[in-house]
Amino acid sequence: MEKLMINQVSKVYGEKESSVKALDSVSLNVKEGEFIAVVGPSGSGKTSLLAIVGALLKPTQGSIKLNGIEMKGLTSSQLTKIRMNQIGFILQSSNLIPYLTAKDQLLLLSHMAGNNGREYRNRAEELLSNLGLAHRMNHYPEALSGGEKQRVAIARALMNNPDIILADEPTASLDTQRGREVVQMLVKEVKTRKKAAIMVTHDERMLDLCDRIMRMTDGKLTELRA
Amino acid sequence: MFLAWREIKHSKLRYLLIGLIIMLIAWLVFFLSGLANGLSTANGASIQSMKADYVVFDKNSSVSMLRSLLPDSMVDEIKKTPGVKDAAPLGQLTVSIAKVNDEEQVDATILATEPNSFLVPKINEGTSFHNDSNEIILDDSFKSYGYAIGDQLKIIQSDKVLKVVGFVSNQAYNHMPVLFMDIQHWQTLKFPTEQSKSGIENPVSVIAVQKDSDFNKDILNQISNIDVVTKNTALQNLPGYSAESLSVNMMLFFLFIIAAFVLAVFFYVITLQKSNQFGVLKAIGANTAFLSKNLIMQVLIVTAIGILVGVVLTYGIASVIPEKVPFALDNLTVAIYSLLLLVIALLGTILSLGRIAKIDALQAIGRVE
Repeated sequence: MEKLMINQVSKVYGEKESSVKALDSVSLNVKEGEFIAVVGPSGSGKTSLLAIVGALLKPTQGSIKLNGIEMKGLTSSQLTKIRMNQIGFILQSSNLIPYLTAKDQLLLLSHMAGNNGREYRNRAEELLSNLGLAHRMNHYPEALSGGEKQRVAIARALMNNPDIILADEPTASLDTQRGREVVQMLVKEVKTRKKAAIMVTHDERMLDLCDRIMRMTDGKLTELRA
Repeated sequence: MFLAWREIKHSKLRYLLIGLIIMLIAWLVFFLSGLANGLSTANGASIQSMKADYVVFDKNSSVSMLRSLLPDSMVDEIKKTPGVKDAAPLGQLTVSIAKVNDEEQVDATILATEPNSFLVPKINEGTSFHNDSNEIILDDSFKSYGYAIGDQLKIIQSDKVLKVVGFVSNQAYNHMPVLFMDIQHWQTLKFPTEQSKSGIENPVSVIAVQKDSDFNKDILNQISNIDVVTKNTALQNLPGYSAESLSVNMMLFFLFIIAAFVLAVFFYVITLQKSNQFGVLKAIGANTAFLSKNLIMQVLIVTAIGILVGVVLTYGIASVIPEKVPFALDNLTVAIYSLLLLVIALLGTILSLGRIAKIDALQAIGRVE
């Protein structure tokens, strides 16, 4: 089943003569349980793709269907809701909230969605335990290692049970071994919870863990390996 | 609330410092207002608490009690005027007094009226003075000089002896404690010779008027050579009264403006520092309303606690302040100024709220090519 359908999406920045085409007719379908890596040099349009799929940017042309719902024409508050409930973001390592413990990082998401109560605390604890953070639940980000922070970020992305996970360079600040561990855990969660995932990365060492690898060059997306 | 309280708990020092500054500002505001209140009380308590609505001055006196002279007969004339419920003469004189056989002098203001008039305040202790007698009632503050009922006092400027028969509270005039006496006896002190009466028979300083429901100031003003003013105008015209309250109120006004800017800038700088964090929060689904509510909650928590501690500190210091310092806290004023500070703090967040609204979730995912 297709979780995400990207169809002929283009993104143009700027006005006529000085315009830059960041995405050029990009199409991509991602199935349930599928883990896709997008690689490519800086400035090739990877982040633009992630921002458009993540409902942070609107495409100039083309359509995106998330779980069968067309995102074109939605208001910005509807898009905020979609980001909260249907999209899980894993951002670069520094992007945890510094004054929240690992558990509160997760509870913040259920809180924003208006869900409080025992079951959500249990869910947060279960997610963190699955990622090997049972003993770190009440630690602040400053007390966590880089790998632990990224695992908290993975748990946070899964907290509101989204349809799709978007990861922005999740291994950028980690060494090879820790980076692989993080990606392995991410892959495992995506498979067992039947999510669809796109990971933007520079890191060629992680590619053997992914189902499909796409290369972005000058706004064009091509399949490297299926 | 979820973020607001957790952040305060985590960044204790930062919010403690802001709370401390709010507390100091609140304390200064309350202290100044206490001083303003105390000063005006010390200057005009007796006029303020007088059960009169209007005061009649001599037309040429420029509303000065010191210069005003009216004939005693005018009291009856005013009483007969339609709309006037009652009227009573008031005499004023500044003297230095001392106990007989004692050298320690105290400056005081004599306020004189008729023994049974509405101008005689409530007696706390002892009895009131009688017609044409040397009996006086004193303000409580004289007790700190060791004065008691039955004491014989002498007036330094003359050879008259006065007899203490009672005490009243909170009576002050022109920063001096007040002693009340009979108006006829006052006339013998103030006008020892016929020439000093300026040709007026039985002169008094001013006449206090209680109005009825159909009072009309213009009708009363038809009596020749008088100037009818409200009690508040009489108060404002006391020597130094408006100058004192004006300068303290000016300080208060600037304090409020400074508080507004200090708080606005503090929270704005903190918001700027956190703009990346707000971007992340927006990316994971927080909307501007959620983030704004958290900021407002934080400002409310920190400001309310700061003000509360300031109030406690003010009342604490007020209880140990020496009695001779003119300091009087008015609970209503403290409540109003607390609320005003809270409102100012909230107004100061508008700047930060605008900033939060402008933050784009895009900045959370680094650079967009």
